[in-house]
Amino acid sequence: MAKSEKQYSMFKNFLRTPTPTLIGLYIVMIIIFTIADRNFLTIQNFRGIFNNFAVFGILASGVTIVMIAGGFDLSIGSIAGLVGIVSAVLMMDRFAISTPLVVIIAIVIGCIVGLINGLIITKIGINPIITTLGTLAIVRGICYFWANLNPRIYNVFIQNLGRKFILNAIPYTTMYIVVFFIILTLILKFTRFGRNLYAIGGNETLARLAGIPVDRIKAITYVISGFFCAIAGLLLISQLGSGRPEYGTGAELEVLTIVVLGGVTVGGGKGNFLGVFVALVIIQTISNGMVMMDVPIFLRQVVKGALLVLVISIDALRNRRNLQLY
Amino acid sequence: MPEIKEYSLEPKKKAKINNTGILFIVLVVLFVLFSYIGRPFFFSVLNLVPMLNNLSFIGIIAAVLTMVMVTGELDFSVGGNIGLTACMVALLLSKGLPGWLVVVIALCGGALMGAFNGFLATVIGVNSMIATIGTMFIWRGIGYTLSNGESMLAIDPVVDYIGRGYLFKVIPFPIVIFVIIFAITYMVMNLSKWGRRIYAIGTNPMASYLSGINVKKVKFINFLLCGITASLGGLILTSLSAVGMPQHGQQLELIIISGIVLGGTALGGGKGQILGTLAGILILSILYNFLTIMNVLYFYIQIVQGSVLILVVATYEIRQSRALKRV
Repeated sequence: MAKSEKQYSMFKNFLRTPTPTLIGLYIVMIIIFTIADRNFLTIQNFRGIFNNFAVFGILASGVTIVMIAGGFDLSIGSIAGLVGIVSAVLMMDRFAISTPLVVIIAIVIGCIVGLINGLIITKIGINPIITTLGTLAIVRGICYFWANLNPRIYNVFIQNLGRKFILNAIPYTTMYIVVFFIILTLILKFTRFGRNLYAIGGNETLARLAGIPVDRIKAITYVISGFFCAIAGLLLISQLGSGRPEYGTGAELEVLTIVVLGGVTVGGGKGNFLGVFVALVIIQTISNGMVMMDVPIFLRQVVKGALLVLVISIDALRNRRNLQLY
Repeated sequence: MPEIKEYSLEPKKKAKINNTGILFIVLVVLFVLFSYIGRPFFFSVLNLVPMLNNLSFIGIIAAVLTMVMVTGELDFSVGGNIGLTACMVALLLSKGLPGWLVVVIALCGGALMGAFNGFLATVIGVNSMIATIGTMFIWRGIGYTLSNGESMLAIDPVVDYIGRGYLFKVIPFPIVIFVIIFAITYMVMNLSKWGRRIYAIGTNPMASYLSGINVKKVKFINFLLCGITASLGGLILTSLSAVGMPQHGQQLELIIISGIVLGGTALGGGKGQILGTLAGILILSILYNFLTIMNVLYFYIQIVQGSVLILVVATYEIRQSRALKRV
């Protein structure tokens, strides 16, 4: 009896999240795009869509964790770019560093930048948007130190990281995202750390009063975000085959749209990975559909910005607790 | 026996120089220092006049953005606004419209952009920091779409005069605009009822609402003004460079916001001085101008800009938390 009640409430909780609406929206979208272009609903095309969202999906997993705890991270694109170009340079022949070491260095760089973000935000107490806007510029500037080297990727391990398919249909990268999302969902649901994240996002003062080490946990969320940025950076250079300092520019716009569309509230405290995954597929399908329908490249940026504004407006209207007088 | 500390209710004896004064002293010291290190280029008419011209379009936006920030809101989209205005002006001029009409249309476009930001922030109630990040991408994207990613010539007597004209054949016109806008915003913030409302809203929006201030209206009009000023800045920049290109004003928000915060405006609102903003923007302008003169590569300057933003905000946060601990 108790079990069925619990299942019933779980289903009700699921219906209360925006995820069912998103799934409905996605079905409508597929129908529209299929009518517009008959090449849309093919395995070839969907293979492309799923492989293309690898970087954004990995970035979104870090940002989701940060935003559930009420934080914000704009520097993700820059960190991914930095990790990408540094590891590409390290893999050049003249350095001759073994692959595992390169991966470790990449992850360490990502985590360190994330840690710096986290320390500035928690120890000094600066607004996270301003802090990460600053680190966005700083890290992007650092990327340009290696602008002249123009490294190519010949390393087989890195090449295969983001380019292989299972049965010629399912990309490995989608598997990474699914695995990461499942692990993170389990962490959010079943560990003390996960529950603390929701507590901090819901009401930071209460969480502090309840004895949760708020500062430490918030700093850790930025380190997690940095870790995922590092992996995204490796995927970037794997899929693009070279290291350039401008890789990852503007990723924050897309990732922010994905995460908020997935039901993660801007103030924190709400959100799950199922919603983020559906949102990820939706946003990437829109990008793909715009390419299929020959929308000019500059107009696509306008559509993406408009999507972000629309999504956060809906989020704000949905979470408005009472009549806003001021 | 625990010591009993005495607290006096009388205000502490005020220091003779306030923060803005300190900033102006820093400004003078930096100016002298840069003139010495960067001789003979830094302190010359050929450098200072263009620097002031450049500063004028950043400065007017900063002045009005200070009003927005004192109410506790923020507008990141000013840089995108500049890019869109520049492209719009160049496109309309290439279609053969008269210059004065183009200027009017550009300012109306700015008003629309500001109104949209204000609508998002007040009516819908989105956190304005995030909403304006979205609109920043939209404005710049429209700019790219209008210009197809190319830079277009923008030459017309009226538009030329805004950025390159001289009043009485001596004073560059952008500097005239700069002085006028700073004078107006100073008077509004310090002498008018409107200014007092802005400070009241920033300090406590609930209390302001209860005492009969239409908080949403004030915030909305501030955003509107910010949009118009950003367009004016875009016009100046288009006129200065004689081209309209969508990259105009990229990452300008970094300089403007760090200048405003350096001038003593709190990110949470309620505190801020127009004169402080003036000092902050002047300091940053001469700093970046000096770095350019010293042949520092652009990406190093970008690193400096990001670091300055974080350093400045950090300093104010630390001072504020210390002040809180003292109480």
